[in-house]
Amino acid sequence: MIVEVGHYALVLALTLALVQSVVPIWGTRVGDPRLMAVAGPVAWGQFLFVSIAFAALTWAHVVSDFSVANVFENSHSQKPMIYKISGVWGNHEGSMLLWVSILSLFGAMVAWFGRNLPKSLYAAVLGVQAWVATAFYLFVLLTSNPFARLLRAPMEGRDLNPILQDPGLAIHPPLLYLGYVGFSIAFSFAVAALIEGRIDAAWARWVRPWTLAAWVFLTLGIAMGSYWAYYELGWGGWWFWDPVENASLMPWLAGTALLHSAIVMEKRDALKVWTILLAILTFSLSLLGTFLVRSGVLTSVHAFATDPARGVFILGILVVFVGGSLTIFAARAGTLTKGGLFAPISREGALVFNNLFLTAACAAVFIGTLYPLLLEATTGGKISVGAPFFEMTFGPLMLPLLLAVPIGPFLAWKRGDLLAVAQRLAVVFVLAIAAILVTWWKTRGGPVLAPLGVGLAMWLTLGALAELAFRIKLFSEPGVALRRAVGLPRSSWGTTLGHLGLGLLLFGVVAESAWKTEHVLVMKPGDTLQVARFELTLADQRDVAGPNYDATVARFVVKENGREVAVLEPAKRTYRTRRMPTTETAIATFDGFSQLYLAMGEPQGGGVAMRVYWKPMVLLIWIGCLVMSLGGAISLTDRRLRIGAPTRARATAAVAAPAE
Amino acid sequence: MTRKQKRLTIIGLAGAVLAAAIGLVLFALNDEITFFTSPTDLATGHVKPGSRLRLGGLVEAGSVARENSTVRFRVTDGVNAVPVTYTGILPDLFREGQGTVAEGKFGPDGVFAADTVLAKHDEKYMPKEVVDALKKSGHWEETEGKGYPKGN
Amino acid sequence: MWIWALFAGLTAVAVLFVLAPLARGGADASEDGDLGVYRDQLAEVDRDREAGLMADDEAEAARAEISRRLLRAARRAETAAAAPRRRSRLVAAAAVVLVPLASIGGYLAIGRPDLPDLPLTERLAAKSGDQSIETLVARVEAHLAAKPDDARGWEVIAPVYVRLGRFQDAARAWRTAIRLDGSNERRQIGLGETLVAANDGAIGADAQAAFRDALKVAPQSVLPRMYLAAALGQEDKKAEAVDAWKAIVASGTEADPWMGVAREELAKAEAIAAGKPVVPLAEPDAAKAEPGPTAAEMEAARSMSADDRSKMVAEMVNRLDERLKAGGGTIQEWERLIRAYRVMGRTAEADAAIGRARTALAGDAAALARIDALAAEK
Repeated sequence: MIVEVGHYALVLALTLALVQSVVPIWGTRVGDPRLMAVAGPVAWGQFLFVSIAFAALTWAHVVSDFSVANVFENSHSQKPMIYKISGVWGNHEGSMLLWVSILSLFGAMVAWFGRNLPKSLYAAVLGVQAWVATAFYLFVLLTSNPFARLLRAPMEGRDLNPILQDPGLAIHPPLLYLGYVGFSIAFSFAVAALIEGRIDAAWARWVRPWTLAAWVFLTLGIAMGSYWAYYELGWGGWWFWDPVENASLMPWLAGTALLHSAIVMEKRDALKVWTILLAILTFSLSLLGTFLVRSGVLTSVHAFATDPARGVFILGILVVFVGGSLTIFAARAGTLTKGGLFAPISREGALVFNNLFLTAACAAVFIGTLYPLLLEATTGGKISVGAPFFEMTFGPLMLPLLLAVPIGPFLAWKRGDLLAVAQRLAVVFVLAIAAILVTWWKTRGGPVLAPLGVGLAMWLTLGALAELAFRIKLFSEPGVALRRAVGLPRSSWGTTLGHLGLGLLLFGVVAESAWKTEHVLVMKPGDTLQVARFELTLADQRDVAGPNYDATVARFVVKENGREVAVLEPAKRTYRTRRMPTTETAIATFDGFSQLYLAMGEPQGGGVAMRVYWKPMVLLIWIGCLVMSLGGAISLTDRRLRIGAPTRARATAAVAAPAE
Repeated sequence: MTRKQKRLTIIGLAGAVLAAAIGLVLFALNDEITFFTSPTDLATGHVKPGSRLRLGGLVEAGSVARENSTVRFRVTDGVNAVPVTYTGILPDLFREGQGTVAEGKFGPDGVFAADTVLAKHDEKYMPKEVVDALKKSGHWEETEGKGYPKGN
Repeated sequence: MWIWALFAGLTAVAVLFVLAPLARGGADASEDGDLGVYRDQLAEVDRDREAGLMADDEAEAARAEISRRLLRAARRAETAAAAPRRRSRLVAAAAVVLVPLASIGGYLAIGRPDLPDLPLTERLAAKSGDQSIETLVARVEAHLAAKPDDARGWEVIAPVYVRLGRFQDAARAWRTAIRLDGSNERRQIGLGETLVAANDGAIGADAQAAFRDALKVAPQSVLPRMYLAAALGQEDKKAEAVDAWKAIVASGTEADPWMGVAREELAKAEAIAAGKPVVPLAEPDAAKAEPGPTAAEMEAARSMSADDRSKMVAEMVNRLDERLKAGGGTIQEWERLIRAYRVMGRTAEADAAIGRARTALAGDAAALARIDALAAEK
């Protein structure tokens, strides 16, 4: 009964989404406040019913109800509880249910935080949001129903794909979806503004926190996925330029551009049309990402299912929403009033520069990802576009942007003084050059570009810190610097941390790519291997039985200068139900950020094949992402970014109530 | 600067970035893409040795031989088979009789030297290129919308 | 029917979500949020000037511009037109009718209200009803997951696993039983036979170790000795095999039920050791020219238990497979191998054999057609 109640609740959510699609928009057209007011409560209702559906499916997974096809196909009674729960979204149907759940969550949040939006904008935004929701409810119910039942329930399930049985994968999809789906709010605001035919600084202020929140989640989601691939796949790589990764990188790049252009729009009332277009493009790229992953046009670990009906359905959603929104954009963009002007050298100019390069880089990734599909569809020729393509296009396009990042925040609005900025950044510049020379001297004979990369990373990190130092007048008035730091707007802290994180990320990328060492060899118990400054000895090898797998575990003793510093136990697991082997890597962190990485291969002639990496500074890659996200989160708490001013809104409502 | 000049500067910059991006992409598309081939393509001499390729097919049963960390095996599409060498650790699901994609160079000696070997990620998944290669050589059956290689 | 009551309740809640705002009217005074934004902007210009990020004259210009916009926004603030009540009543009526209709209609098209929930623990606890082997296995598995140190349970489930063809699980079960409760003849022989079955009839090192362990606790046990003797034969140690079989024959009397098999095997081993061809026995259905099972094997098969017989068949199929792997083989042999695998339920190997047959018979169009026909049979 619980399962069927969940199923029915999902249908009810669809019905409410249909109401929300029609009634509030009709209200805005005829100017009826009662019809517009329907939007909020119905958005709440949607969220309630989708939550019931999600809870019901989770319950079915937890109690191993194999009469539900989704549970039978992706669960197993002996699976640990955490993976029974994460298994809910570790498969196609469940992950799409998660997608609509998050969409309805965002809808409910707009309904709550947006109460003091102008009424017609409020109704239009939630109406557009409901269009998206309706399309995806239909997709779930018609092509990917997680509540489909089996008439003869089997006694045991087929288990979840073992490489998905991992804590990292338990939280990666929810984070990623919070990002993807979060951009739907910016999209709904953009389309609503076009329908309303009115857009101004206030619009940018309302859109920014949603974009920021989505961006923070997407950043965390991508970082999480990258770290998961790093430790779970056993290849030691952290980014493969795999189409599925690109699918999440594209909305991230566009979202980052949107974040910056929304600042210009809010502060200076300029770049309106462009910001609207970016909001539409960002969510379109999120939809494209969903299409690429869910339709099975790409085959990779993320393509749980390959079902053409689903692909065609999502393609339809993609065409309708992207095509529809761009058509409205083309028709209405001209009516939007043009905003303020600015000199090319100015904060606005710097942000335009940022947008240009981010979108160009995004376009390069777009072409690299879709060109093989296009070529195959048109000529039947099969090619693969791999890392070299992206390194050659994405790299050069990011370089000028990275060089400019520290300069931007120093420029004044409207008209900036490059010379004054140069004076302020002179020290940072000298330090970056010094870093290049020192690195070059210490690593002679190593990769040529690496010292330059280190210099660029220094330029970014120190530049971000210098901007903070000047803002709080750390050097000119050290006495009051702390007070100033506390009083600094949270969004300034966000800028600093965001750019600082980027520098750390770059530092990790440069160090890892340039100075990692790799050893592939067959080792027998007692064998010793020298890696970097460590001595690894294979102590023994033994068989271990886990809850739903059997494993062979090798024990390595790591010594530094003859002293034992770590014991590492890489393993090879074989999951019983699917008879599928997985590699469990063993990782030890040294010096704070560097890692020793062991992955086990096939047993061979009494020994075992081992892959051993030394990865200097590799953790900075993900720490950089965390710092960036932290910057976004702090910026989100900026008082000015909270939509409207709650106190004033409450007072208004109190006055309004008796009037009715 | 006048209003017009300001606008022109920005449009000019945008144009320059766009041109640079297009140039880079075209250059990279010319140079950095990898073509996909089947064992039959290689065996019938359609491919000039030395270029970077992806080779897809099934790992021929009984063909895998290991020697320290170097592995030799043959990739077949049911019609022809090509010997492949690879140094390193094979993916977890690399097995005889299963689909695989090897990326590397086809040498003049007729041996494909792979630097990357990919295998399917789970029992449902078969690299798309492998499926296409098998379909082309007729060794593929469609049943109820889901395909299975005949020579699994 | 509780479920329908619940559905009705949920539907009512859904309708209420639509009706409540229509009734309340939702006519809060419309406040233009722009004003607040511009006020904040003015404050920020001041802050920026104080922080030295903006020159005084620039700040003045910015202030002026923002003030202009502030005025414009204030002027734009408009009052909502009084809307007719009739429209919202229409919407309310439509919601009361259409929401339940669409929801129930949509659900009935795809839902299964008649199917109850089936949580696994409840199904296992249920005494009556489903007594299929899968249920029993699942019940024992659930029990063993809760009490993994119940050696008796592992011992009970192991032969069932073998019957279901789950050899890996069976071997694990035997090993666990041995680990928990010590070695004995039955468990070691069970483990050894499971490993032989898992290995397609080949008696590998792990299986031999299990049989040797069985002999440690029961030195006179015949079955382990026979397997070890057969293993010697498989490893082509001809003289040792003959000796082993001789020892087995010498250790028993004519009254022993296994004596016939032992004698046959001894004769076969001696024939092989002497390099004589083993006389083939006619195969029931296929071409007579092919080497089939030996007379001794057929004889032995008759006197064996069903379990042992299937093992012997597996061993023969395995030999055929090995031979075909080594090279050559006629279309008839390939067909026999594929059919045998199918009959034994080892479809994956059957499919693999089809693939190999195609490679091996690549030149022969007629043979390929027969393989194709066979492949289509499944």
